[in-house]
Amino acid sequence: MLQSNAQTRAEALLTARRVSKAFGRTQALSDAALTLRPGEVVGLLGANGAGKSTLSRIISGHIQPSGGEVRFAGEPLTLTSTREALRRGIALVAQETSLAPDLTVLENIFLPDLATPGRLSFARMRAKANDLLRMLGHEHVLPLDAEVRGLSAAQRQLVEIAKALALDARLVIFDEPTASLSATEVDRLFDIMARLRDGGRALAFVSHRLEEVFAICDRVTVLREGHCVAEDVATSTLTQGDIIQHMVGRDIGAIYSARPPTESIGETVFEVRGLRAMPWVREVSFSVRKGEILGLGGLVGAGRSEAVEAIWGLRARQAGEILVRGQTVPLRRPADAVRAGIGFVAEDRRAQNIVPDMSVRENLMLAQMGQHRGFGRGFGKRADRVADLLRDLGLPADRLDQSLLNFSGGMQQKIIIARWLLTEPEILILDEPTKGVDIGTRSQVYRMLQDAADAGLAVIVISSDFEELLGICERIIVVSDGITIADLPADRLTEEKLTLLAAPRTSTARNQALLRDLAREHGGDAFWTLLDGDGIICLAQAGAELAGLVPGQAAEAQKTHIPAALTARDGVFVTEADGQRQTLLVQMTDRRGHDLGWIGLTLPGDVPPPPPDGIRGRVRALTRGPEEETA
Amino acid sequence: MTDTIPTPRRPNPLGGIVRSLEFRMLGLALLLAIILSLSSPYFLTERNIFNILDQSVVIGIVAVGMTFVILTGGIDLSVGAVFGLTGIVLALALKAMPIVLAVPVAVAAGAGIGLFSGVLIAVFGLAPFVVTLGIMAIGRSLSFILSGQRSISGLPPDLDAIVYSTFLGIPANVLFLLALYLAAWGYLTYTKGGRTIYAIGSNVEAARAAGLSTLVYSILPYVVSGALASVAVTFSLAQVMSADPLAGNGLELDAIAAVVIGGASLYGGRGSIIGTLLGVLIMVMIRNGLNLMGVSPFWQGTAIGSIIIIALLAERLINMRSARG
Repeated sequence: MLQSNAQTRAEALLTARRVSKAFGRTQALSDAALTLRPGEVVGLLGANGAGKSTLSRIISGHIQPSGGEVRFAGEPLTLTSTREALRRGIALVAQETSLAPDLTVLENIFLPDLATPGRLSFARMRAKANDLLRMLGHEHVLPLDAEVRGLSAAQRQLVEIAKALALDARLVIFDEPTASLSATEVDRLFDIMARLRDGGRALAFVSHRLEEVFAICDRVTVLREGHCVAEDVATSTLTQGDIIQHMVGRDIGAIYSARPPTESIGETVFEVRGLRAMPWVREVSFSVRKGEILGLGGLVGAGRSEAVEAIWGLRARQAGEILVRGQTVPLRRPADAVRAGIGFVAEDRRAQNIVPDMSVRENLMLAQMGQHRGFGRGFGKRADRVADLLRDLGLPADRLDQSLLNFSGGMQQKIIIARWLLTEPEILILDEPTKGVDIGTRSQVYRMLQDAADAGLAVIVISSDFEELLGICERIIVVSDGITIADLPADRLTEEKLTLLAAPRTSTARNQALLRDLAREHGGDAFWTLLDGDGIICLAQAGAELAGLVPGQAAEAQKTHIPAALTARDGVFVTEADGQRQTLLVQMTDRRGHDLGWIGLTLPGDVPPPPPDGIRGRVRALTRGPEEETA
Repeated sequence: MTDTIPTPRRPNPLGGIVRSLEFRMLGLALLLAIILSLSSPYFLTERNIFNILDQSVVIGIVAVGMTFVILTGGIDLSVGAVFGLTGIVLALALKAMPIVLAVPVAVAAGAGIGLFSGVLIAVFGLAPFVVTLGIMAIGRSLSFILSGQRSISGLPPDLDAIVYSTFLGIPANVLFLLALYLAAWGYLTYTKGGRTIYAIGSNVEAARAAGLSTLVYSILPYVVSGALASVAVTFSLAQVMSADPLAGNGLELDAIAAVVIGGASLYGGRGSIIGTLLGVLIMVMIRNGLNLMGVSPFWQGTAIGSIIIIALLAERLINMRSARG
């Protein structure tokens, strides 16, 4: 275990030692430690199932530890409820927000006050709320009288933070706060966290996105399978590789075994055109080929799960065509989809996949039984295939009649995947297949998917974990606000590019507006694109199509109409060799210097170019948040 | 985030049997039988045993339908009223047509009422409690109207053959009851439909997502329940030889009690037809035993109510102990 080199730092506000927690027979935490100091942000890291959330929920009073010691402000801390934690000044900003959707922003911020006796002064609450938001630098961005139901994920989080501050929290734990935020919103959140830190609060940041950890954390603590494997280490002394090593306990490459490319990929077997299932799915189109693993990427809430549920017949569709092997199939119910040769592992294992009162055998055979035509259960028909699958899963046959609930999340997930492999589908759709699956089992799940693809199945994987998508998929479709906006080969993408592509349209509205304005004012083609060496990924485009860039598609500079400009990237209008077009490219960076892509304007070669400075100024204004303009 | 390290239980086949609901209920039934035979020398006579079986027929038949419904997580409060109404329908039909036609007409009427409830519940998503409460009120009201508020007697005497003919010394109605339980057990355990009924009660979302026909098998239990209520009234009429519009009053509660004593969960997905049979026998034995001991019939409700609550409490305590976290 790495130890911190003690410097002159503030006295620890919270120290947790040897904390353990068992859920029934599952040991979620066995030897966890954490130290939080005022004026510091500590990253609490770990892979799925490492115990990060469990530890944060113990510190914030949601659950009680089975053992260990937690000290807060010099005294032993034993919490029996979240209310008590809040009273002591400990707040958790959680993955699923704890807001009341029918109440207003103001009421939510002061929700704990509603439990205190006596009259409430709304005028005073309003004034205090404005003070808090000013402190966060977000005054006037949040309508105090709006119902929380209508807010975006980022706005809800802001309400959560304000709620914590209203109680004068000294310690705030952010549990995966960035999961449904766009790049710009993440940036704004970090700004708020920095303000809180500078105000002397102790912050913990729970995440598995390393980029973000390096951007905001002063120190990190890493958990693996309930143990603390690195405690309170200064971020500046670590590389990403070090942290991955700690999180995984081995090289990350071992988890994603790369497939030999396009060897077994054949013709298109499944296609979705113009799928619409309001309010979540507006226009989703994609196709997948035999032997291919296709990723559906995007932020939480982008409409990916809803899209596949609509395909599967669990949600009403307003429009759209679904084709299996080129034939339109009318899928109204899941049974229709099963018959058409599709399998579907839904996102929520406990709610949508497991039948809790049934044995492993019956859970395994469930889809097979539904497909079976006849009066009996149809269990006998597939005995040999079941035996094969059990051997692959490493599950002894004598455990088939036990309750599925006795098994780990990873084994449950493998059995659910096997349930669909038994129906011998041609298309297998999996929604977040490794959610809540321990790291050891994850690679086995990936191998199952790869084996399935090698056997000729078309596999569609939905995941919010971009690293996972890039690790296992050949091609990735990006969904944002219910619309498929990009279709790109995985080897052209990185996590950063995916994050930019997946940003909600609301947060890129200003960029889109600028493109429209530029195109209209100058009578040309305005576009927003990512440039990486020779590779181009166009994010958005407006006006006449002069540059030859298609939004959501990857291209190479030489194959566009403006190769010279894309190669030069000069900051001035560059005229192509044929003199037909001239192009200005301006790079966008955020305040931390991250590349947000390039804004380009292509004009016909024969018009006098406008001065580039004006355009550069407008692009720069884009990367500043709206709060700075109102301030 | 919570399920991480696989720590599965060790298999223990004997433990599985001992832990099973049927085993516990069988123990309770035997214990009860021993206590009652010690309290009354008459209890264990052949005549009294046939008496108990005979008294089990009506509630036993209705409890099979109720088991189907409760396994899906539903409830059927209308069986008592359907019993009364189809009894009147049967009596009226017997005056117009031969027995072999009249009985199917009455059973079809019961099944039709069940189909109506089932469609309202499964297609329109109405609460089973409310739908069957409504059907209960309508059914009772219609049986008064159809009967002209009085009992209908003068039924064809051949009808009693349903009850009083014997095979190998066993009365026909008892044989039918045992055959019905055997068929229901086979159906619920070994067929696609039966397992789908369990899956619906256990997790309807997962059942639907796995491509099972959740709509059909959500409706079917109500059809079975309605049809079996009219089968039960057929046996009842054959014994009493008259149809009373008030017949079957409170029968739904007896049936629910038998299913619950038999270990079924009112949330669905858990329970068995064997458990229901034992539940029926336990209830009938208590009534029979209290009668034999000369205890006032007004105490019967207290005894049966206590057993229901103790059975539920025991199930909850056992579940709490075996639950994770």
